[in-house]
Amino acid sequence: MAVYKRTYQGYSGAATPAWSRFLILPRYSLGRLFPSKFLVLFLMACFFYPAGCAVFIYLSHHLSFLRVFNIQAANFLEINANFFYIYCTVQATMASLLTALVGPGLVSPDVANHALALYFCRPFSRFEYAAGKMSVLIGLLSLVTWIPGLILFLIQASLAGRSWMAANWWIAQAIVVGSLIWIVVLSLIALAMSAWVKWRIAAGALILGVIFAGAGFGRALNAVLRIRGGTMLDLEQDSFTLWSALFRLPGAGRDLDPLEAANAIAAACLVCLWLLFKKIRPFEVVK
Amino acid sequence: MTPPPLEESLVRLENVSRFYGEVLGVNRVTLAIPPGITSLVGPNGSGKTTLMNLMTGLIRPTRGSVRVLGVAPEDPEKLFTLVGYSTQFDAFPRGLSGFQFIYSFLRLFGWPHAQCEQLAWRAIGRVRLNGAAHRKIAGYSKGMRQRIKLAQALAHDPRVLVLDEPLNGLDPLVRAETIALFRELAAEGRHVIVSSHVLHEVDLISDQVILLSNGYVVAEGKIQGVRSEIRDHPMQILIRCDRPAALAARVFELDSIVEARLHADGGGLLVKTRDAGRFYRLLNRIALEGIEIESVAPADDNVNSVYEYLIGGEEAGR
Amino acid sequence: MIRRYWAQMRAVIRLEMKKTFLSRRGLWVYLIALAPVLMFAGHDLSMMRTREERRAIAAAHPVPAGALLAVQPGMTREEVTARLGQPNLDARQIRFAGGRVRRELLSYTDGQSRYVFGFADGQLQSITVRPEETLAQDRVIFATVFQFFYLRLAIFFGCVGIFTNLFRGELIEKSLHYYLLAPMRREVLLAGKYAAGLIAAAAIFTSSAALQLWLLSMPYDSSLPGREIAAYLGVAALACLGYGSVFLAAGLFFRNPLLPAAGVLVWESANPFLPSALKKISVIYYLQSLCPVAAPPDREINPLLALLISSSEPASTVFAVAGLFAVAAAVLVLAARRARLLEINYGTE
Repeated sequence: MAVYKRTYQGYSGAATPAWSRFLILPRYSLGRLFPSKFLVLFLMACFFYPAGCAVFIYLSHHLSFLRVFNIQAANFLEINANFFYIYCTVQATMASLLTALVGPGLVSPDVANHALALYFCRPFSRFEYAAGKMSVLIGLLSLVTWIPGLILFLIQASLAGRSWMAANWWIAQAIVVGSLIWIVVLSLIALAMSAWVKWRIAAGALILGVIFAGAGFGRALNAVLRIRGGTMLDLEQDSFTLWSALFRLPGAGRDLDPLEAANAIAAACLVCLWLLFKKIRPFEVVK
Repeated sequence: MTPPPLEESLVRLENVSRFYGEVLGVNRVTLAIPPGITSLVGPNGSGKTTLMNLMTGLIRPTRGSVRVLGVAPEDPEKLFTLVGYSTQFDAFPRGLSGFQFIYSFLRLFGWPHAQCEQLAWRAIGRVRLNGAAHRKIAGYSKGMRQRIKLAQALAHDPRVLVLDEPLNGLDPLVRAETIALFRELAAEGRHVIVSSHVLHEVDLISDQVILLSNGYVVAEGKIQGVRSEIRDHPMQILIRCDRPAALAARVFELDSIVEARLHADGGGLLVKTRDAGRFYRLLNRIALEGIEIESVAPADDNVNSVYEYLIGGEEAGR
Repeated sequence: MIRRYWAQMRAVIRLEMKKTFLSRRGLWVYLIALAPVLMFAGHDLSMMRTREERRAIAAAHPVPAGALLAVQPGMTREEVTARLGQPNLDARQIRFAGGRVRRELLSYTDGQSRYVFGFADGQLQSITVRPEETLAQDRVIFATVFQFFYLRLAIFFGCVGIFTNLFRGELIEKSLHYYLLAPMRREVLLAGKYAAGLIAAAAIFTSSAALQLWLLSMPYDSSLPGREIAAYLGVAALACLGYGSVFLAAGLFFRNPLLPAAGVLVWESANPFLPSALKKISVIYYLQSLCPVAAPPDREINPLLALLISSSEPASTVFAVAGLFAVAAAVLVLAARRARLLEINYGTE
C-alpha cells in the first residue's frame, strides 16, 4: 500500500454551500483593504457631500430656523429629482476615484502571483471568482452611492410627508437603478484592467485613464470630427444621460439620447467581460 | 609586495544593529571577517540577508558602523569596485540575455566596450554558461539563473564576494563545480562570504562560520573551535576497534566521560566526554596496552551539530 | 571624473531605453500618443470625402451662390425650389433629442458650403449654413485638443507610466539592486534614468504632435507657420520634462505613485483658482503660457472634465521656459536626495 493511502484522509467536514462560496473572496479582500488608513480617510471623505445634503434637506424643512438668520426660503433649492440627480453625479465621481483605489488590488495580485490556478483547482468557477471580486466593489461603491442616496430620500420623505413620498417614489428607484448601473460599469472596468495589468499602480492609472482620458478623448473626437458620437467614449457622461431619463430630466443628458448612452454602456460592459474572462482562466499560456 | 594594513583586509562590523520599524533585523553584531570562505548560517529570519545587505550598503545600519576593506558602504564608487554581491532575489532586468545582463551592468562601471565584453565573457566562462549566454534570462532554469547572478557578482573581479544562498537550485555536478570555484576564489586571497542552509556543504567549504539566530551572532570562528567552546554538550568521539567492550570499561577511568555506547556490529564505540583532550591522552595509553584501534573521529564537530546545539533548541521552541 | 559620470549615464540610458522603447508593457503609451493622430487622420479623411461629395452634388445640382443667399425665411417650399431647383436632399422627418418632430428639410450646396432649409407648415423657418472648414477654425480646435486632451491627459498619463516605472517599477520587479551595486553615484543613476525617460517620452509625444500638426494642415493649401509648429513641439517636449521630473520623484517617494499622480492632476486642474504665487508651482501654468494659440473655454463641460480643465494668465516665454526648468530641477534635486537614502527592502513592496 502506498504511504499516502495509509496517512491521507480527504476532508469530510461541512463545506460552504455552493451558492455562497463566492462570498469567501470579499471576506478576505475587505480584510486586506481596511488596514489602509488612506482608504478609510477617503471613504470618510465620500460621505461629506451626502452629509451636507442631509443638513440641506433638514434646513429646507425648518424655515423658521432659517428666518432667524435672515435667509429667504425661496433661495433654497427645491428637493426634487434634480437635487437627487446632482447628488448622484457628485457621488459617481467619488465612486470612480474609490474604484481606482480599490479595484487594482483585486485581481492583479492573483495574476501576478500565479494564484488563479489555486482558486480553480477547487470547486470554484470563473464566474464565482469574478462575482466574488466584483462583490467587493459593489459593496463599497453601494456604500457611497445609492445607500446614502436612499437615506437622503427617506429623510426628505419623513420631513415632507407621505404625499411627497407617494408622488416621488420613482426618485428612489432612479437613485438605486442609476447608481447600480454605474457601479456595474466601474466594477467591470476595474476587474478587467486589474486582470490585464499585473502592476497594481499601472492598473489604477489605467482605470483612471479609461474614465478621465476616455472622456477627454471623446470630447476631442467631437471637436475635431464635428460629431457627437465621441461622447459615447465618456462612460460617465453616458451614465449621466441614462440617469437624466431615469430622473425624468430630459435636458440633463448632453449630445446623446438615452438609448445611445445605454448602448455605449452595454458595449463597454461586454468588452470588459470579454477582457476579464480572457484573462481569468485556470491555466497559463507560456510563451 | 607589502601586505595591506589589517583594516584593509577585513570586512568589519562594529556593534551594528538594524531594525525594520519595530522588527529586529540584526542586533549588536560585531564581526571582523578575514579573507577566505566565511559562511553565514542560521534559520530563516535569523538575519543573514540583513547582514549581507548591510555589508553592501543596500540597507543602512540603525546603529553601528560597517567597513569593507576600510571602505564605508556610503561610498558606492569605491565600495563596488571591491565588492560583488549575488543577492537572493530571483529577478532580472526585463528582456536581457545572459551576456547582455553581465555586459550592460559592467558598462555601469564606466569602462569601455572592449573591456566590458572581455570581462563579461570571462565571468560567463567561470560559471560555465557560454552556451546559453545569448539566450534570454527569462528562459533560464533556476540553476542557470543562480549561475548568471554569480557571474554578475564576480565579473568585475571584486576582492569581496557576498553570495546569498548561491548553491540553491544547483544540480549536484554544478554544485561541486561552484564549490570548487569558491575555493579557487578564496585561494586567490579574496573574501567569499556565503549564506547557506545546506549545512553539510557549509562544512565542506567554510574556513569559518558565523552562526546567527534571531538577529544575534551566536557563534563565530573555525568550526572545530566553535564546537570546543560549546561546553553544555559533551563531545562525541567515534572509535572503531577490535575490543570495544574492553575499551568501554577502560574509558570510565576518567570522570569526564559521560557515556559510552557500543556499536551494534560489535566493532566500535561512541564516547561522550566533557574533556576531549584528556580522553585522547587516555586513548593513546590504551592503544599501547594492546587494544587495536582502527580509527578515531569526532562525531559532532561539524556545522550540523554546532547548529543543532546552538540554534536547534530555539528552532524547536518556535 | 566627469567623463566617467557621463559614460555611466550613457550606460544607464542604454539599459533603460531597452525597457522603455518598444516594450510590450509600454504599448499603451504609444496608443495614447497615437490616438490624437488617428483622430486628425480621421478628420482629414472625412473632410476630403465631404469636399468631394459637395463638389459632386454641386456638379449634379448646380446652384448659383447668389441664389442661395437670396432665400429668406417665410418663403414657401415651392418658392425655394423654384429659385434653387431640386434639392440634393429632401428629408421629411428628423428626430430630435426631445422626441420626433415632423419637419421638412431641403439641402443644397454650392460646392463649398452646405445650406439646409427647414420648413414647418410649408414655410421656411430656419436656414443653416455649414461652410467648408478652414485652417483658422482647425487651429483653434487643435489648440483646444492640444491643451485640454494632449497635455493634460495624454502626456500626463504617458509620463505617469514612463517615469514612475523608472524606480518604482524596478522596486516592484526586484531588479533595482543591480544598479545600486555598481560603483556609481545615485545622482548619476537618477540623471541617467531621467534622461532615458525624457528621451523616450519626448520622442513619442513630440513625434505624435508633429504628425497631428502635419495632418491638421494636410487638407489645406496653406500650412501653419513654422514658429507655431516649433512652439507646439517644444511645449510637448517641455511637458515631458516637467511631468517627467514630478513622476520620477513620485516613484521614489511613494509606494503607490498613483496617489501623488491623482494629487498632481487635481493641483494642475485647480491652477487657475490658485493665488498667483502658487500658480507658478505647477507645470501646466508654464505650458499653457507657451502655447501659441489660446484655447477657448468650454462652456458645456461636464463636472468631471470641469475639474480637469483650467486656464491661466500667461507668463512670458523666457519666464515660462526658465520656470519649467526651475520646477523640474527643484523636483530632481529632491528626488536625488531621496535616491541617496534609498534602501533595498523589496519585502515591503
